[in-house]
Amino acid sequence: MFKKVLIANRGEIALRVIRVCRQFGIKTVAVYSQADRDSLHVRFADEAVCIGPPPSKESYLKIPRIIAAAEITNVDAIHPGYGFLAENAGFAEICTTSGIKFIGPTHQMIASMGDKALAKDTMKKAGVPVVPGSDGVVPTVGEALEIARGIGFPVIIKAVAGGGGRGMRIVREESELENAYKTAQHEAGQAFANADVYIEKFVEQPHHIEIQVFGDQFGNAIHFGERDCSVQRRHQKLIEESPSPFVDEALRKKMCEAAIKGCKAVGYENAGTIEFLVDKDKNFYFMEMNTRIQVEHPVTEQVTGHDLVKLQLQVAAGERLPRTKIPQRGHAIECRINAEDPANNFRPSPGRITDFHMPGGFGVRVDTHSYNGYQVPPYYDSLIAKLVVYAQTREGAVNKMSSALEEFTIEGIKTTIPFHRQVMRNENFRAGKFDTSFLDSFQFVPEEQ
Amino acid sequence: MDLNLVRKLVKLLSESDVDEIEIEEEGKKIRIAKHPSRFAMAPQVAPLYPVAEAARPAAPAAGAPVPAPAPSANIHEVRSPIVGTFYRAPAPDAAPFVQVGSDVQAGNVLCIIEAMKLMNEIESDSAGKVVKVLVENGQPVEYDQVLFILEK
Repeated sequence: MFKKVLIANRGEIALRVIRVCRQFGIKTVAVYSQADRDSLHVRFADEAVCIGPPPSKESYLKIPRIIAAAEITNVDAIHPGYGFLAENAGFAEICTTSGIKFIGPTHQMIASMGDKALAKDTMKKAGVPVVPGSDGVVPTVGEALEIARGIGFPVIIKAVAGGGGRGMRIVREESELENAYKTAQHEAGQAFANADVYIEKFVEQPHHIEIQVFGDQFGNAIHFGERDCSVQRRHQKLIEESPSPFVDEALRKKMCEAAIKGCKAVGYENAGTIEFLVDKDKNFYFMEMNTRIQVEHPVTEQVTGHDLVKLQLQVAAGERLPRTKIPQRGHAIECRINAEDPANNFRPSPGRITDFHMPGGFGVRVDTHSYNGYQVPPYYDSLIAKLVVYAQTREGAVNKMSSALEEFTIEGIKTTIPFHRQVMRNENFRAGKFDTSFLDSFQFVPEEQ
Repeated sequence: MDLNLVRKLVKLLSESDVDEIEIEEEGKKIRIAKHPSRFAMAPQVAPLYPVAEAARPAAPAAGAPVPAPAPSANIHEVRSPIVGTFYRAPAPDAAPFVQVGSDVQAGNVLCIIEAMKLMNEIESDSAGKVVKVLVENGQPVEYDQVLFILEK
């Protein structure tokens, strides 16, 4: 097992990794920007190295500084967390050539799954159902039109190098195609420095259901069941749960088998998530593979009883995955608490937290880097806490989440806590009847905070 | 605002190792700092080891030399722009780039910081005389750590 690990990240995930390392007796090194000097991950690591000024580009994304920090502290491995450099193949490769183990898949796996068109092609060849669409990049408008006619409208034009819901255009009619194609290319070129686009059938009001997978260095691949992440606002997940209220046993079996096939096709190593779109008729299509630990991993941990970050370290250190089938029991829900104002279009709300109290009790878990008096910086994403509840039934979990949200107190900044409280009271959500269009018609009612 | 209170706070600050005081009472807030223009306040002596418990960035280590007792327009701190290992000379057996007492111009190389097997020459961003060298040869440095004090 590693003796010392550097965490190339910040916030709650950095603290999460530090906690697991501590349990193993592994020494930890935190890196931080000047804005994160008083951050919990800096406080609880064994060593800390300042790597730059507040902007991410100048600190958490600065590969030479992170590698230099790893060298001067003599670490064996780097855990990249999620976001930042977690899916940067170049970074993974530099770690390897610098003699440092990157806790995650190899850089080749990251690169092949990071190219969305190539990933889809790889999955298709492995026998995983994919959304009907172009075979790779569509270089001309003429071809785009031909392909769209073949698939049938509506279609969606997507950036090959895109992700997280960016660089996409939905086209409902043939007359809109040419403009949409050109705009998508232009946008992609600006945002991702790669104007290549591909086309897919647009699945209306799909469910976003993903399978947690794990591979080891011996070619084994296992799954940990599914998570339903359909409650999204502008393609950003807000609430996740496991199991999915939409998935029955037959669908689960098919999806998990497909996910394992996909995993084995690339000889995948370490933690990964395969995202599927599921239509109302329970047809499922591969969307993309995330080659990292995800924000919502605690949901899976609660229903399977496995520590996924611990497993990441074990697999990276050369251990075999467990051979027994992973049990699934009960129901878990996670609400992402963001420093955003739901009454004002979820506008970011950085600032000092003047009163902070977390809920607790049986089956109530909070993963956070926030504390009383913490200054939430404006430079990074707005996630400040993850509230995860576990109960034996979905109804029990929803009720427990409601009561935990009532108790959760964060003053001084605006948060999405009031929003989550209202979702938990929503009739459709409580009944498990929702898809990715849920929040389009959900009306948040501003309250007295 | 109570001027006597302000005077007392300023005196308190100048007589101690504390860099900044902020007091809030009944809606009134006062903040007094020794180096108000700088973002990073902590004296950067031996910042890497071991950054545990109370010895976190803000508190100067007991007995550690604190650079320049008072801010003045004459004093310039040369800070590290990168993370790496600090070397005083271009090679192990060569003479150091600068010593205490050396006169430097803006653009003169003061030291080398090695990162990822690359030797980065660190140039002075000001003219002046070197009055203090804060880092030892071979010591790791972090971003923005103070390396040299120059007197202009």
